[in-house]
Amino acid sequence: MIQKYPLTASQKLHYRWINEYKTQQVSGLSIVASLKAELDFKLLRRCINEELKRYSCMRVQFTKPDKNGEIKQYIPETDNIDITLKDLSDMTLAEADATMQQWAYQTFDGDDIPMCEVFLMKLPDDFNGFFVHMDHRLMDSCGIVVMINDIMSLYTHYKFGAPFPDDLADYEAVLVNDLKKAGNEKRFLKDKKFWDDMLDKWGEPLYSDIQGPSVLEKARKKHKNQNLRSVDIEREELFVAVKDYKLDAEPAKVLMDFCMNHQLSMTNLLLLGMRTFLSKVNNGQEDITIENFISRRSTRDEWTSGGSRTIMFPCRTVISGNTDFLTGAYEIQNMQNHIYMHSNYDPELIWNEVRKRYKTPSNTTYESCYLTYQPMPVKMENPFLKDIPMHAKWFANGAATKKMYLTVSHTEDGGMNFSYHYQTAELVEKDTEIFNYYLMRIIFRGVENPGLSLSEIIAMV
Amino acid sequence: MVKERKFKEIISQYCQVQPENITNSSRFREDLGFSSLDFMSFLGELEDEFDIELEEDKIVNIRTIEEALSLINALKEAG
Repeated sequence: MIQKYPLTASQKLHYRWINEYKTQQVSGLSIVASLKAELDFKLLRRCINEELKRYSCMRVQFTKPDKNGEIKQYIPETDNIDITLKDLSDMTLAEADATMQQWAYQTFDGDDIPMCEVFLMKLPDDFNGFFVHMDHRLMDSCGIVVMINDIMSLYTHYKFGAPFPDDLADYEAVLVNDLKKAGNEKRFLKDKKFWDDMLDKWGEPLYSDIQGPSVLEKARKKHKNQNLRSVDIEREELFVAVKDYKLDAEPAKVLMDFCMNHQLSMTNLLLLGMRTFLSKVNNGQEDITIENFISRRSTRDEWTSGGSRTIMFPCRTVISGNTDFLTGAYEIQNMQNHIYMHSNYDPELIWNEVRKRYKTPSNTTYESCYLTYQPMPVKMENPFLKDIPMHAKWFANGAATKKMYLTVSHTEDGGMNFSYHYQTAELVEKDTEIFNYYLMRIIFRGVENPGLSLSEIIAMV
Repeated sequence: MVKERKFKEIISQYCQVQPENITNSSRFREDLGFSSLDFMSFLGELEDEFDIELEEDKIVNIRTIEEALSLINALKEAG
């Protein structure tokens, strides 16, 4: 009999969004990975089917919700799946991308059905590869990179005699361990104390919008409550647009060197830049919360088991404008370190506590910005493929649960990419342009002179 | 006393270094490549594994295996 398991906290996050926004689209995850080379599609199909057996998170299915709306996950044994070949090679690259983008908008509707599909791809300009579309509860972006590398390792093994790839960790075993950790009462109480203590210390959080205080004022009028500290979430018009801004290799190196020389992680430098911008446009507000995604992957098993391990926690800091840039960065780092230690907690419980204490109106939030920093580039780390040009592209699922979601990643040329996903019902491209412009100015001013106070930096930029 | 071998086996799950190659002077971040998340997750695991309570504001200053081992043994003895 197939064992059924509850969802992990990371999976529950996606499941909640599916329920709140009433579409599985918010949990879609799609990528195309291709090489500028002839590929043996018959062999590639065989490797993908072998991957389904090796990387069992690809097979995860979900039960029908019970009377409480709870679902369970399980891993069915599988025969080979049908992997069709899609030939878009007659199109331009832009047309092919647009076609794949449409596939990324598709939903997996139903219970007890496969939540992952794969197509073999013939793309323009002699690129060939595969397109993967799945539910985010099966895998996160780190999991996908591991999967792509493993599929290509299998391919080069069978095609060129490369060494057979190392075994991947068993998804089910890691899942059982995660659920056991989550069920550790002593650990749970420690985590709960950490998050509750923050509310005891600082009280109710205060919303800060990337468009300034008028957004909170509008919400206060709507709710007829001049003391309201949260604002409404857009839940009807979910269409998302994406705008990317590049940072060249040379300035990116300046940031990386700064982080290395000051034992600071890039996430914390970015969080400081973002919160300083929010402070700037919200009359010097000092109490600011940004939702930051972390990927709970530390051990080898966690890295190679697949699954969805990203989870977001509120990074709330109260930093005075008199604080110098470097001290501010360390204050954020300190907060993030505490959060990491308590990251087995289900973030929904944090918000339940906030709602309970402050009677926060339903469908409102304290955060306008979300951050994901991805230190790991999508790159085929395979010596047999290293000189072959590669084209990999993530496709937005087209439905945003967040007003503005920034993903920062490193590019192969040593630069960085700042990718803004924003709800078009709330923001226009100009908003992201302004945000990114000031984010860069704030961070580089601070990096050039970390002794400057945050207020001085705000005045300078 | 916490068994050094067991301690290093846990560490090796977080890095690409075999337990026998981890010395007491090895530094978590510089030598073993721990990220902040790795380090804090590791400390959480130590709390659960050895049934100890770490003071979060102090533990972030731990740099080496020896420092971590000493702290845990002190906590075990005190507890």
